[in-house]
Amino acid sequence: MELERELTALAAEIDWPPTPPLRPGLAARGREPWRPLAAALTLAVIALAVAFAVPASRAAILRFLHLGAVRIELVQRLPAAQERPLGARLGPTVDRQTAAGVLHAHLLLPPLSPPPPLHAANEIVSLLFRDHGTPVLLSETYDQSGALLKKLVGGETTVHGVRVGPDPGFWLSGRPHVFFFPGAPPRLAGNVLLWQHGPLTLRLEGHDLTEAHAQAIARALR
Amino acid sequence: MARAQRGDARAFEQLVEPYREIAFRVAYLVTRQPADAEDAAQEALVKAWRALGRFRPGAPLKPWLLRIVANEAHNRRRSDRRRERLVLRAAAASSGEAAPSPEEAALAAERRRLLLDALERLPPPSRLVLELRYLLELSEDEVAATLGIRRGTVKSRTARALERLREEHGARA
Repeated sequence: MELERELTALAAEIDWPPTPPLRPGLAARGREPWRPLAAALTLAVIALAVAFAVPASRAAILRFLHLGAVRIELVQRLPAAQERPLGARLGPTVDRQTAAGVLHAHLLLPPLSPPPPLHAANEIVSLLFRDHGTPVLLSETYDQSGALLKKLVGGETTVHGVRVGPDPGFWLSGRPHVFFFPGAPPRLAGNVLLWQHGPLTLRLEGHDLTEAHAQAIARALR
Repeated sequence: MARAQRGDARAFEQLVEPYREIAFRVAYLVTRQPADAEDAAQEALVKAWRALGRFRPGAPLKPWLLRIVANEAHNRRRSDRRRERLVLRAAAASSGEAAPSPEEAALAAERRRLLLDALERLPPPSRLVLELRYLLELSEDEVAATLGIRRGTVKSRTARALERLREEHGARA
């Protein structure tokens, strides 16, 4: 018992490293001072291979998060990117059965008639459609590696932990951010709702998309 | 808890706020690197938020959270990184009840330093179970949950680790 008492007494004498300002439930602050995180975590979804082609960004990674197939990295500087159409490089159109085969799971679709065309590339099924006049890109993937897609988030973007129904997710908003799609060059993108539904990781993007609008679209998927 | 499970991020923050320090220290004890520990604790909080829907209402939150932290820290423990040793505060106060003489204080400090050195020499599984149990003052049930082992294993591992520590400490004290 003497040794146990000594160990317990030792607890008060340990010089612990200071506890950092952890951010429960959502993204994080970097280890270095950041501008107020009204700033937005710039969001870029990037294939791992593309990420490794951006050494400057990789070297400046301050923090990262995973959600399903996606890795979100907070970086000091974002790679250069141009604005490109939402529907660029989504892959060839496929029928619904093929798309479901790509996902190994039930495909979630908006309740639109006729249904929007489905595209498939790199194990990602995408569809571009309009909701209340707003162009929206929905992407779905079964991949669970946390490495298929990658988002680089920098200075002026915020990331909030959210729930889409019971599903966990993140809402990324703020200034346009850089987005990398597998096999496509980086582009600037708008706000994004990212969430995990069972084995699927889903991503909803649209210019001027609000969180409420994105949530409404997500909840309507069947 | 119900609000957090319905997706209220602020409610979740309030739930885990009391455990942020111990979460970081658990991660630090596993990784022995402050930066890795910070990353592990941060990622664990995010994973906990994502997994909260599967948390059983009424169950204790602390061991559930620390289990996620420990798992994340083990995943990040990198063999190529130099690991820090625990150190005592420079002007550690005496734990005695009465003010000791300078000689007594020096002897006590020396004994604490030797004990910590002996603890550091233990194999990691033995060391960690003692650190969680005595330095972080977790209960046996909490240690079991944090390490993902049975309570009986915690008891037997603690007993063996204490015996080993006694030998180490006794040999050099």
